[in-house]
Amino acid sequence: MTPPELATAGVGQPLLSDEDHARSRDRARVHHARVNRRRWRLLWLLVGPGLLAMLGENDGPSMIAYASDGAQYGLGFFVPFIPILFAMAFVCQEMCMRIGAVTHRGYGELVLQRYGTVWGWFGAADLTLTNLVTLVAEFVAIRVGLAYFHLGAGVAVALGLALVLFTLSGGRYWRWERIVLGLALFNLLFLLAAILVKPDVGTLAGSLSFTPFPGGGFNTLLLLLASTIGATVTPWMIFFQQSASADKGMTPADVPHGRYDTALGAVIAAICGIGALIAGAALLSHGGSGIEGFAGAGFPQGLKRVAGSAAGAVFALGLIEAGAVAILTISASTAYAAGECIGASHSFNASPRNAGIFYAANVGVALLAAIVILIPGAPLLSIALNANVLATVLLPVSLVLMVMLANDRGLMGQWVNRRSTNIVGIAVIAFVGVCGAAYGIDSFLQAVHVVGS
Amino acid sequence: MRTDTHTVGDGAAPLPIREQDLQAEERAEDQLIMHLERDQFVAETARPVPRAALSGSAVAGLWALRVFVVLVSAMVIYTFVVNLR
Repeated sequence: MTPPELATAGVGQPLLSDEDHARSRDRARVHHARVNRRRWRLLWLLVGPGLLAMLGENDGPSMIAYASDGAQYGLGFFVPFIPILFAMAFVCQEMCMRIGAVTHRGYGELVLQRYGTVWGWFGAADLTLTNLVTLVAEFVAIRVGLAYFHLGAGVAVALGLALVLFTLSGGRYWRWERIVLGLALFNLLFLLAAILVKPDVGTLAGSLSFTPFPGGGFNTLLLLLASTIGATVTPWMIFFQQSASADKGMTPADVPHGRYDTALGAVIAAICGIGALIAGAALLSHGGSGIEGFAGAGFPQGLKRVAGSAAGAVFALGLIEAGAVAILTISASTAYAAGECIGASHSFNASPRNAGIFYAANVGVALLAAIVILIPGAPLLSIALNANVLATVLLPVSLVLMVMLANDRGLMGQWVNRRSTNIVGIAVIAFVGVCGAAYGIDSFLQAVHVVGS
Repeated sequence: MRTDTHTVGDGAAPLPIREQDLQAEERAEDQLIMHLERDQFVAETARPVPRAALSGSAVAGLWALRVFVVLVSAMVIYTFVVNLR
C-alpha cells in the first residue's frame, strides 16, 4: 500500500521518460524472476546498492587505516571491533535502503522537501566537503598502490578519471552497477594478502576476546576509534544507498532482498577489512609503525620484505581497487545529492542531455580531487588520515535526519522503523557522536596547548 | 520504424502494417510500464512531498546538533592545519 504522502492525486497516465523505460525493463526482469520463483536469479537482480555501499566504504583510506591499526597495535581488539562496526553500518544502511525502496526518492531530496531547504543544503554541503576530502584520499590510495609498480600520480589520475567516464558511458543504472560490482569483488584481494602473510591462527583466535587493548594515550585511542568508525559508516553511504535503491527501481516488495544485499555487503566488507588488518599486523613484529611510516609505496613494500613479493603486489593491487571503486561510488553519491538538491534529473538511467547536472557533478568532483593530488607538495597523507575523522564528526546530523525519515509514517506507512531498530539506531548515533566529538575537542585542546599530548 | 502501409491477411478491413506495428509497440510498452509502481514514475517522483511539521523542540534539537557538529568540525580542521606546520 502506498504511504499517504506519496499517493498520487491525478488519475491519468503520467508522461513517460527514457528513465521510466529503462527502469521498467529492469523491473520486468525482477517481476519475471519473482513470478517464476527463480530465487537465485531474483537475488542476483536485486543485489547491488548494499554491496556497493559496504564495499565502497572499504576504500583506500579505510584499508590503510585497518592495516595501520594492525601494524601499530596488532590484531587484538580490532578483529572483533570491525564486525561490530559493520553491524552498526548495517543498521544505518538498511534504513536507507528501506526509505529509498518505499519512497523512490533519494536522501537529499527527501530531507530538503520534508524538513526544509536549510537542512537539505546543510546535508549536501557536509556531503560535498567530506566527499571531496575522501576522493583526494582515494586518489592517494591508488597512487600508493601504483607506486609499488613504479607508476606515478599521473597514471593514478588517468586511471581514476577514465573509470568514471567509462562507467558513465552506458546511460543505464544496471550497467553502471554491474561494472562497479565486478570491480568491488576485487576487495577480496585483502583477504588473499592476509592469507599470504601466513598469520598465526592461535593469535587470530585469541584476538576475538578484544585483547590486548590498544595502548597509547587517550587521544590516540580516540583517533583510532574515530578513524575506524569513519572507515565503516560515512555520510556518502547514506546518500548513495538510498538514492541507488530508488534509481534501481526497488519497491517495498524488494525490501527483504535489500536486507540480504546490505547484510552480504557488510559481511564481505568486514572480512576484507580484517584481511587488511591481518596483513598490516604482519609488520608489527618487524618494526611496524603508523601510516606515517608507510608513505609512498611503503605499506606494500613493507609487506614485500616481510611476506614476499606476492603479498606486497596483492596488497598494492587491493589499494588500487579500493580507491577506484570508492571514486566511482563517492562521485555517484555527490552527483545524486547535487541533482536532488537542485531539483534536476538524477539517474544513471537518464541520458547526459537530460541529466546534465548529475553527470557533470559526477565527473566534476572526481576531476577536482584529481587536480588536488597533482599539486606539488600537497599534504596528501595528512588529508588521507583526516578524511575518515571528518566524516565521523559530520555523520551524526545525517544519521538523525535518516532516523527521522525512517520513522515518518506519512512517508513510510507500514515500513516505519520498529522500536528495536530505533533503539539500536539511536545507540549508534550516540556512539559515533561521542567518539567524533571527543577526538575533535581533545585534539583541539592539545593544539592550543590547553591540555598536554 | 516501418512506414509502409501495405495490408496483411484476407479479412475484412485489415489494419495497415504501420498501425499494427504501433499498436504492438504500445502493447509492449504498456506491459513493460506496468512493472513500475505508479509513484515510481519520474513525473510522480518530481512532485515534492509535503513539508513535515516539526515540533519546536525537534527544531531546537536539530539546530543544537548542527551548531555542535560545525564547532567540532572547525576544531578538527584547525587541528589538521596546525599539525601541517
